[in-house]
Order: sequence, then structure tokens, then C-alpha cells
Amino acid sequence: MDKRYDAIVIGAGHAGAEAAYILAKLNKKTLLLSLSLEAVAFMACNPNIGGTGKGHLVKEIDALGGIMGEIADLATIQTRMLNLGNGPAVHSLRAQVDKNLYHRAMKARLEDTKNLTILEGEAKEILIEEGKVVGVVTGMGDTYSARAVVIATGVYLNSRIITGDYVKDVGPAGFMRSSLLTDNLLALGLDIRRFKTGTPPRVLSSSIDYDVMETQNGDIGNPTFSMLTEGDVRNDKACYLTYTNEETHRIIIENLDKAPMYNGVIQGTGPRYCPSIETKVMRFQDKDRHQIFVEPEGADTYEMYIQGLSTSMPYDVQERMLHSIKGLEHAKITRYGYAIEYDCLNPLELNASLAIKKYEGLYSAGQINGSSGYEEAGAQGIIAGINASRYLDNLPPFIIRRDLAYIGVLIDDLVTKGTNEPYRMMTSRAEHRLFLRQDNADLRLTEIGRELGTVDDERYARFLERKAQIKEIEDILDKRFSIESVKEVCELRGETLPKSAISAREFLKRNYLTAEDLCKISEEFDAKDKRALKYVEVELKYEGYLKKQAQAIKDAQRMEEKTLPKDLDYMSIDGLRIEARQKLDEVKPLTLAQASRISGVMPADITVLILYLRKNKL
Amino acid sequence: MKDTIVASATPLARAGAVGIVKMSGENALELAKKVFSATSLTWESVEPNKMYLGEFSSGEIKDKAFCVYYKAPKSYTGEDVIEIQAHGGISLIKGIIRELVKLGARPAEPGEFTKRAYLNGKMNLAEAEGVQELINAEGELAVKQAYRLMDGELSRGIELAKAEILTADVNLESVLDYPEELTDDLSEPTINALNNARTRLIDIYNGSKNQHFITEGVTLAIAGLPNVGKSSLMNALMHEERAIVTDIAGTTRDVLRESCTLRGLKINLTDTAGIRESDDTVEKIGVERAKKAIEGADIVLFLMDSATPETPEEIELYKEISTKKHLRVENKEDIKSFPRVADISIEAKTGKGIEELIDMMFDKLDIEKIATAVPLTSERHLHAVKTAIEAIESAIDNFYAVPIDCTSVDVKSAYRALAELTGEDVDENIVNEIFSRFCVGK
Repeated sequence: MDKRYDAIVIGAGHAGAEAAYILAKLNKKTLLLSLSLEAVAFMACNPNIGGTGKGHLVKEIDALGGIMGEIADLATIQTRMLNLGNGPAVHSLRAQVDKNLYHRAMKARLEDTKNLTILEGEAKEILIEEGKVVGVVTGMGDTYSARAVVIATGVYLNSRIITGDYVKDVGPAGFMRSSLLTDNLLALGLDIRRFKTGTPPRVLSSSIDYDVMETQNGDIGNPTFSMLTEGDVRNDKACYLTYTNEETHRIIIENLDKAPMYNGVIQGTGPRYCPSIETKVMRFQDKDRHQIFVEPEGADTYEMYIQGLSTSMPYDVQERMLHSIKGLEHAKITRYGYAIEYDCLNPLELNASLAIKKYEGLYSAGQINGSSGYEEAGAQGIIAGINASRYLDNLPPFIIRRDLAYIGVLIDDLVTKGTNEPYRMMTSRAEHRLFLRQDNADLRLTEIGRELGTVDDERYARFLERKAQIKEIEDILDKRFSIESVKEVCELRGETLPKSAISAREFLKRNYLTAEDLCKISEEFDAKDKRALKYVEVELKYEGYLKKQAQAIKDAQRMEEKTLPKDLDYMSIDGLRIEARQKLDEVKPLTLAQASRISGVMPADITVLILYLRKNKL
Repeated sequence: MKDTIVASATPLARAGAVGIVKMSGENALELAKKVFSATSLTWESVEPNKMYLGEFSSGEIKDKAFCVYYKAPKSYTGEDVIEIQAHGGISLIKGIIRELVKLGARPAEPGEFTKRAYLNGKMNLAEAEGVQELINAEGELAVKQAYRLMDGELSRGIELAKAEILTADVNLESVLDYPEELTDDLSEPTINALNNARTRLIDIYNGSKNQHFITEGVTLAIAGLPNVGKSSLMNALMHEERAIVTDIAGTTRDVLRESCTLRGLKINLTDTAGIRESDDTVEKIGVERAKKAIEGADIVLFLMDSATPETPEEIELYKEISTKKHLRVENKEDIKSFPRVADISIEAKTGKGIEELIDMMFDKLDIEKIATAVPLTSERHLHAVKTAIEAIESAIDNFYAVPIDCTSVDVKSAYRALAELTGEDVDENIVNEIFSRFCVGK
């Protein structure tokens, strides 16, 4: 077997798969190591992809030429658009996904990818010579050479699962864990930490009384994640909504001494945004109920995922909790919920290219960087892959800015602020939110992907076609409609009648009129591509707000463009407070703007820095 | 800051009684040891904040002086600070500075002491600006206000508004990020928070809009027909004879501008020639100027002679004044025969009722409110608060017409405007601008 590669990706989860795929696409001979090939792109927790902020990430991965969107579309069994009532920037696509299908489709796709070799095996040691990566040694002792390595170990590094007092040194869902690599990472002088996350019980569908729950079907007419997906995705599976109640909460509180989260068994830091039910009950004591969503694990199984009931309580408490909930009184558990602890890196070890600062050629992506979620992992995977490839090609790194993509926000947050809990993407983290929409992800990123070499001809052709569709519509926006022709639709929508004939542009700007309304009164517009029309509507309707945000971006740009010298000795800059010196020295920000976002660096410190740079003409 | 800066903290322009030399930086104490000695002082056990009487001695310079040591970080700049107070001869003070520079101190740049205080976290940007206001302040009320700015009262008022805006923003964001989990309608608490912020900011803004009353003084015009006693009233207000007073109508031919200080407030007085249509050229010019004076006044006292009957001219003149902020004042109470509808009756010649009239003027101008308002004395402050108010109003007005993510753009820009004001958001231009305006020694 050939032992020489350009790049090695350790771990074939959502980050690893994306990194390996993009490296191979960029013509790098790539080895993808996975502890178990049954665990490739395995969705260990919730059976869905997308959601608020996360749907944006998937769209962006797709726009850059990644694969998560394509595979997600292929494995979708229900699709919904969240936040429809709350404005275009936060419309978030979320798909219920068939987990097995997702895993199988991704595995097959990777197996079928040119330049990519998948191998079942455990990484034991990353070989470094003179500060540069030269290869990886496996647990069996075999050595593979490569000048670039992407670490994407997810939650498998020294992991253990916990259910009550049952504690087991394994990975998620019974997969083996990676027990060899942590020692190596520690020996490399990297800052290793311990995080925690968890998953709820799964229940047999036939034991659930759906009649007393609220049914949630998919929406019709949603776009897909990938611009390459033809036609509609599968959309025939339902989810169900029920609630915890005071009895459920009583059971939890009475058994708190048995909860590993509270009795000291769990040491790792858990996510605030995806708390266990015991944490929710304790933290929000004034709430008398919490939502529980019952979601299918796939189309080929009767297992249902009990979203909202993540727990590490003992098995008997889990049963009692579950049985206290309406519709789940007779639920048969197929898998118990558990908490999982794992080793991860302090993301301050990285710079914004996802390179580990201490070594050349070493990158990391996904949950090892302190994030949580499949989408967050995939987003880092594609960037780490791109930059590992650029390193091999001697090209400068690709830094994706905050005002360009959620991926930029995600990475900048991680490497600048660090994180003390598993980091989840949220739309509120993006200060340029109105620009970072799902409907313009391709317009923001595909041209960049083309330059990077990750967008192939097929995707680029689709992109150009879409741009042409938008242009066609923009060209006829001055077409006017008489008062008479818009009267009916205005009355229907409760919109005030225009005083004279109204152009399509003005029509779409009105708060209560939509693109669909325009199609009703105009065959010409009705004949245009509907998604392109929707895009034009959003751009027009929110023009004023987009302009306001554009101004804010421009204002911030100056600080964003002011790069900081790599070798700046922060420890010796007079006037900087000690804490600021240490933080700046640790993070080594690339720009003044990044420096200003570091927690512990005060505005006055930035002033000192500005004055210092100017004085020394840097 | 490693280098130690030195400057005179008192103006060098005039020979004051006491001159103060200020030194700040790591070596301030070392330098002081070399030049100052006192019998009551052993440098190894020097007590901070204590004034020692002793002798400054270095090179040619030898003089009795006081010395105070402020230990870092409990000093103005947050660094070690030494103050030397000597007899204020210009040449002596300059000599002391020269000696300290010889020993290694560096002459301070304009505003450098305050800049260091800001950089060392001793004050925020708004407070730093307060120092500057203080230096430039005229009149007692203005000084008091500058102190309030320096004390951070502006920051506190802004902080309260910011907290409300933050509440609104958190509500909006949580709805956006948890569309499924968060099903409560947060519209009302959000609107309430925005309204509260708006009210606070408008109070701050309005209190500040007329801040020039405090900083530059109030322009007061006294208007009335000829010979109703305008100049007497002016004199009464000023306690001095400034205008020529005779019984002949039309004696005051020109608008006389004078200023005086009433209860700490600077008053720019404009005594207008009696306004009436006149053929006399000199007087005609005066009449036109008087009309202009009324135009430019912050408040007009409309003076009427209650000893003579109301004339059509008087009614005509009042029409012109009634659109301005004004008080109707009835003069010559002692010989009143034709009472008018008036806010107050006085006797300008004897000064009777003048105090009450001043009370009324202060009330009318809201002086107390303005003087105790959080002062937004600089254009930068006014602009920031105005931007924030406009953004909040846009958010409120469009709340139900646009989606939440748009509302949040306005709410965030309101927050940003205020953050910039207190210096939480750094803009290098602003910082440089502010500190370049300082005088040396502060």
C-alpha cells in the first residue's frame, strides 16, 4: 500500500469528510483516517441538518463547493423553513435527515472521489520535523507521510459516555474512541481541554401516542441546501410536539443527586445553548413546561429521537421522566440518553486559517476546536481543507471575513475569543446579518470558490445562470402597472393604493406586497425564475436596512484592513495592560479589528496599539 | 508608560501666586528624590497624598516648595505622579521644568496627562472630554457642569439608556435564534424598553440642546415702545448705569450689548431702541437692529408702561414678540393706571420685583433643568445621542411593519452610537482629535 500522501485527515466525521473532500478536489492526494468506517459522517445526535444560523452555514459550504448540502438534500425526509415570520435574513432551512442514508451516501461519495483514500485506523502520532508536519503514525504502527494534517477527531478523543453511574470509555453510539492521540497532542505542547455534550433517549415509534401531540409536517416549496440538487427533496415524514410538565420536573428535581451533571461525575463544560433537561429545569425554574419534539431517526427505522430531553440521568429516572410526558406514557426506550465527555483543543491555539500556530502544516476542524454541531464542523472542515491545500501549494491562507459569511463569524469567534463551552452558531453572533442570508450565499461565495478552485464547472455554470436570471428581472423593474391592475391585490393585502401607476420596483418595496402578488398581476414576472424573483424582492424591500448595515460594514472596514505585523512583541509595548499584552500575545490577531474583539482587550488598549503602530510607522 | 512626562499645571502666561509642576511616569518618584528634600521627609517611607514642605534644589534653582506624591494607580494618570508647588514666577517654574528635563523627564505634549489617564483606564472618553470642558469653562455653572461630565454622570445616563436598548436587543435576538422554543410574544416588553431608552435619551438631548445657555450665556432682549423703561430695567438687571436714561422718548438709539452674571448664569443683554416707525434716520437703523435683536434672543422681556394706555402700536409690537419665548412685564407699578395682562409687575427704577422677574426668567428658560442635566456639551456627544434617538425611533415606528431582523439593525446602530460616545468602540480619529485639544499639564 502506498504510504505517501499530500495530506492526511484524522477523523471522518462532518469536519473530516468536508476537509478530505475539498483537499481531494484541489488535487491533493489525501488519506482519510476513520476509527470505524461505519462512523463516517455519522449523525450521532439529532437527526436534522440546518436550523437558525446552521442552515446558513450549510448553504455557504455548498456555495464554496463543499458536499454537506448535496448529501443532506439527498437524505432529507422532511424540510421546513424556520423563522419565515421574522424576516429574510433569518429564514433558516432545516431538514429532517435519514441518518443511515446520510452516512451511506457520504461514505459512497467519498469512496468515489478522485485523489481520496479512506482507511479504517486510529491515529497515534503526528510526526513533526523542524516544526513542520511530515506524517502520521497509526495505532498499528504504520507510518504515512504527508506535509499537511487536518485533525478532526470530533467527540472521539479520550471520550467517555455517562448514564447515571454507568460510565464507559467509548465514543458515541457505541463506536470505539480514540485513546492514543491526546498524549501526542499534549507532547506537542497543545492546550487540551475537556468539554461535554449529550443526547436524549430514542424511543420505538409504535409505543408513542401521536394523537395527543401536535403534528408538524414539512413545508411546500422550500429551496434545497445545494444549488446542484434537481427538483424537490423527499418531504413526507412528520415530527410531533409535546411538552414536559410539573410531574416531569418533580422527578428530575427529586433525583438530582443521581444526575452526573450535578453530583460531580461530569467535569466537562456543557453547552448553554443545548442544555440537558436537568439543566433546563434547574435554570428555568419559573417555566412550568419545556418543549419536546419527537423526530424520526430515518425512513428505514422505527426509532424516534426525543429532542429536548437530552439527559444523563440513570436509566430508571429516564424512563419515569419519559413516561410522565403526554403521549410518551408507554414509550419503549431503544437507546438511553447519555452525556459524553471528550478532549478538545483550546481554539486560541489556531489562527483564522484554522492552522495550529505552533506548527506548520497542522490544521484542525470541527468539535475538537470547541464547537458543536454537524454544520459548524463541516464549515470548519472546508476551510481547514482549503488552507491545508494552499499551504501545500505555497499560497497565502484564505481568511473568510465576518462580513462575508457565517463561516467567517464562526471561525473568528473561535480563534479570537476562544470558548468555554461547545460553541453553537446563532444568527445573533453575526453583526452583518442582513447581508448574510441563505438566498445570497452563492452570490457572496461562489465566485470566491471559483478562484480558490473548489467550485467546478457544473456549479459555476449554475451560478452564472442564476445571476442571469436575477439580471433579467432587474432589467424590467421599471415596468409600470396601472392603479386598476393593482387594486385587487392591494385590497387583499391591506396595502394602501398607490396614487398613480406603480413600477414593479415600487410594488416590491411595499411592506405588504410580495413577489407572488406581482406574479398574479403580471405574466411577464410570473414567467421568471421564482427564487431569483424572491431574491430581488428581498434586496428591494430591505434596501434601506441593507444600506444602513453596509455603512456599518464600511465603518468597520478600516480596522478590518489594518493588518498587524506577525512578529509584533506585545509583551514589550508600553501602556498596554498586562492582561491585554498576554491576550494579544496568545491570540496574535491578524488585524486591528480582530484584536479589538479579543475578550480582555479593552478599547483603551486598542488606542495604545493604534498609537504604537503609528509612532513606529507599522 | 516608561517615560516620565513633566509640565506646568498652572498657566505660564501670568505670574500667579503659586505655580504647580506636575510629573507622571515610572521615574517620577526617582526624579523627585533627586530634587526635593524636606526635614519631615525620608523618601524611603514617603506617604502618598501628603503635602511636604521643603526645598527644591537642582542646578541653579533653589526655592522653598511643596511636594506631593500620588502613588500609582491612585493618581490622576494612574501612574506615579509628583506635584511640586512653588512660588509662581514664570522663570522659576520654567527653571524647575528645565531641571527635571535635564534629569530625564520629557516635556508633556498637549493633553498627554489626560490621555494617559484615559489609556490607563482612569476615565472614559466622555470623562476625558469633561476635563477639557473644565479647562475651557466660563462661568460657575459651566464649571459645575464640566465637573459632572468628568465625574461620569454623562456615562451613567447613557449607560441606563444602553441597558434598555440591550434589553430590547436581547428580546429580538432570542426570538430570531429560538423560533421554535420561544413562543412567547416579546413585542410589548421590547417596545417598552425602546420607549424607555428613547425617553431617557430625549431628556438628555433636550437638556443639552440649550446647553449654550450655560456655556455661552443667555441672550436676553428687552423690547417695548419708546420710553417704557427698557434701559432702566436693563440697568436694574445689571446694577449699573450702562445705557443713557432720559425721559425723552428715543434716547436709546442703538442696541447696547452688555453682559452680566445673574446667579452664576451669564446673561447677554440687548437693550433695544424703542420700536416704533420713525423718520429719524439714526433711530430708524436702531429700530431695525432692535427687531433683529428680538429675532436672535433666547428670551424677550416685553415691557409695558402701565401709566399710559395701551396703543395699537403696542398690540402690533406684541404680535411680533408673541412667537418668541417671552415674558410680559408691566413697568411703573407705583403709578399704575392702565393695568395690562402681564406675567409680572415691576418698578424698574427702584428694582422692585426684579428678583421675581429673574426667577420667572430662569423658570421660563428651564435653567435649573438644563444646568443639572447631563451635559452633552460637545458636538460629538450631541451627534451620537441624536443618531441613537433617530435609530430608536425608526425601530419603534417600523416595529410592526418590518421583520425583526430589520428592527434589530436600528436597535444595534443605536447601541453602537452610544458605545462610541463612551469610548467602548474605538475610532482612532476620535481619540486623536480629543486628545489633541487638551492643554499641556492636564
